[in-house]
Amino acid sequence: MSLGLKVYPELCHGCGNCVVACPVNALRSVEIAAGKGPSEDVDIIMMVDDGTIQLKNADLCGKCGTCVESCPVNAITLEESPLHWRNY
Amino acid sequence: METTELIEGKDISVERAGEEERKLEFKNIRCASCGICEQICPVSAIEVNPTGAMARTEQDISKIEIDEYKCVLCGMCSCICPFDALDLQINGKSIKTMEGYPKLIKSAEINDDVCIYCKACETACPPDAITIARLLPDRAKLVSGEIEIDKETCVDCGICEEMCPADAITLQHKSPTSDDPTVSSDINVDIDKCVYCLICKKVCPVDAIKAVCRICSYGEYDINPEDSNVVGYSNIDDELCVNCGWCQEICPVDAAKVNKPFEGELTIDQDTCQACETCVMVCPCNVLSFPKSEKSGSIPEKLHKDEKYCIYCGACQRSCPVDAITVERTKINSTPIRSKSWQRAFDSLKN
Repeated sequence: MSLGLKVYPELCHGCGNCVVACPVNALRSVEIAAGKGPSEDVDIIMMVDDGTIQLKNADLCGKCGTCVESCPVNAITLEESPLHWRNY
Repeated sequence: METTELIEGKDISVERAGEEERKLEFKNIRCASCGICEQICPVSAIEVNPTGAMARTEQDISKIEIDEYKCVLCGMCSCICPFDALDLQINGKSIKTMEGYPKLIKSAEINDDVCIYCKACETACPPDAITIARLLPDRAKLVSGEIEIDKETCVDCGICEEMCPADAITLQHKSPTSDDPTVSSDINVDIDKCVYCLICKKVCPVDAIKAVCRICSYGEYDINPEDSNVVGYSNIDDELCVNCGWCQEICPVDAAKVNKPFEGELTIDQDTCQACETCVMVCPCNVLSFPKSEKSGSIPEKLHKDEKYCIYCGACQRSCPVDAITVERTKINSTPIRSKSWQRAFDSLKN
């Protein structure tokens, strides 16, 4: 897959929309599904850490684009990953 | 032999000249990123980009990538693509028109002899492939009556003009002068617009309007039934049509007939589904939707499907980030497959 999840912490406002919109996160944590941050130790794709977005387990991403749509400031994108560029 | 790959916008063509000239063309706009071509390609030359991402996010790239060094221009992808996004041509001729190659049996037709031009199919068609053009009858030929305004009695109040549902009455409004102390210079009825509903007659405060509806009094004796016919024609754009069956299902008079390329079963795991809407946006056939709650407090299923409209392309399954959807293909409707290897390849798409 040539598209990969990328975050821009410098743009992020820390709203957490992407964290709770992400269906993979929501399936893994009922707290996230309910709109909160996870209190238990659970593997999720991304979370707001110290006020900005951080990718934790990008390999879990199903590349559906839900988080991208939910972000108000384009701080999370699905774009061509470096792996893809190596083919050229 | 040299292979050339040409990318124009998001369309791709791969070409090779040898004893015969072979050219594989990909039209991005028709592609649903369903992944069937990637599955069937015997040399893994095709990579379909993430289905959800391609539908939900803005991307500069094509929905698929073809590795021109791997592609052997065999044409399997071209013959199986349910959206005709891929087409292999040999010496300028599409293999879909050649007897030696299998062709998906899929079609959509509207019978104009039966069609009443209600436009339900045009509104429902997911890829906007249907155009219904209709010519409505002349309204004046469907009514019969008489109307007369006694201009001497009329006080130019304009009430009839305001209330006429057919906008058939017009007053020539003006400001009064000492020379001509009236508020309107004339009042007229457009006979082509008047439907003889008699509202003006009823509402006139000075009984200046005489009107009668002949149909109410004597029936439709002077109406020609043929004058009420709606004429028109229908058109399905084959380049856009996905053979989903919406036109066939929604047509109130059974004028539309659709043959689908695949048969199968679509299963949704309602517990796993997180209602992210990716599949709903991805589905080229408008099969999936979020149902409304019937009454306060009742919880509907998370994701609703109606397989009447499904062509089992598998785009929804491929797009689901939590693997809540399974598409099983049980039958591929195609013309006879002559080669055993092609038969095996087609069979590999079935569950």
